[in-house]
Amino acid sequence: MNPNGNTHDPLVERALMGFDLAAEHHLANCQPCQDERERVEEALRLFGAAKREYANRPESFWEQQAQRIRAAGNERARKSSVALMLTPGLAVLLLIGAALLSRVPNSLPSSAIASSPTTAKLDRLSDHELLLEVERAVQSDTPLSLEPAMLMVEENDSGMPLSSSNARKEPHTHEN
Amino acid sequence: METALTPALGAAAQNITAEEFDALVRRHQRRVHRLLLMLLRDPDEADNLTQECFLRAYQSMSGFRGECSLETWLLRIAANLARDHMRSRRTSFWKRLLGLDGDGDDGWAETVPTRQASPEQSLLAREEVRAVWEAANTLSQQQRAVFLLRFVEEMELNEIATVLGLQVGSVKTHLFRALQSVRGKLKDLR
Repeated sequence: MNPNGNTHDPLVERALMGFDLAAEHHLANCQPCQDERERVEEALRLFGAAKREYANRPESFWEQQAQRIRAAGNERARKSSVALMLTPGLAVLLLIGAALLSRVPNSLPSSAIASSPTTAKLDRLSDHELLLEVERAVQSDTPLSLEPAMLMVEENDSGMPLSSSNARKEPHTHEN
Repeated sequence: METALTPALGAAAQNITAEEFDALVRRHQRRVHRLLLMLLRDPDEADNLTQECFLRAYQSMSGFRGECSLETWLLRIAANLARDHMRSRRTSFWKRLLGLDGDGDDGWAETVPTRQASPEQSLLAREEVRAVWEAANTLSQQQRAVFLLRFVEEMELNEIATVLGLQVGSVKTHLFRALQSVRGKLKDLR
């Protein structure tokens, strides 16, 4: 045991790590440290050999492992080639799907237009009747959609009785 | 030569044939497996990750630029796989619970080469190896990896740095601390 262990320890450890000029210089002049290094180096050498021996396997193990690696590689290659074969099919399916989706927005407005009442009415009219309708709308100064409101205004102007909402605006009296 | 393995490789297939790869496996599998066994202390996981290591190497062979030896490159892949595996806490939890973690020191003493002159010296040598073995098991993950690569794989510090993806200075620091712990254990013996 090195009597100067505490102060010399770092130098021994540096020497054990590999070549270190300062540590080598010290060990050359300090026999206890030199002995300590040799002792620890021998223990580490035996430890390394024991670990390598412990990890050793019979030749059949390595042969089987090489075969397993080859088999796993082949399996991965097979999966990869299946994926490569499926890729064009998936691409075609995606294109078809995209084409179908691009058609749907075009058809939706046309169906929506066809289902609206005004358009249904216009569809029923012949070309001549359609022209007459347009002419009437231009001359009436009232858009087709506002015609019902216009009729109410005309009714009010012509002295028809007030609606119930107007009647409520009359002042209430409590004379009776 | 085109084989079933070739299509999976892509660009890498241009560089190495399946036969060449098979030869590479046979040449380096012992060291890769040993490193994984030392780092993981689990023979089953070492087997699985050895297989994975070579498959990854095969798939990324085109990425090997020859900045280090092929073996160092393979060991680096193995060390990365081991690190990722050890980060998987769920696995280690179940392993610990089932008592599957650790390399099971059973029979380790028989592996100590005994060239000592006397039975006493032989016994002391075995005790010292046991102390180093136990001390190595208590080291932090990085210290342990550096220590094992240095004294079991007998690698140079710059090689260790390449395998573990560390700076040489960090390798020195880890190794210094590992040696302090190991020497502490050895001192307790005397």
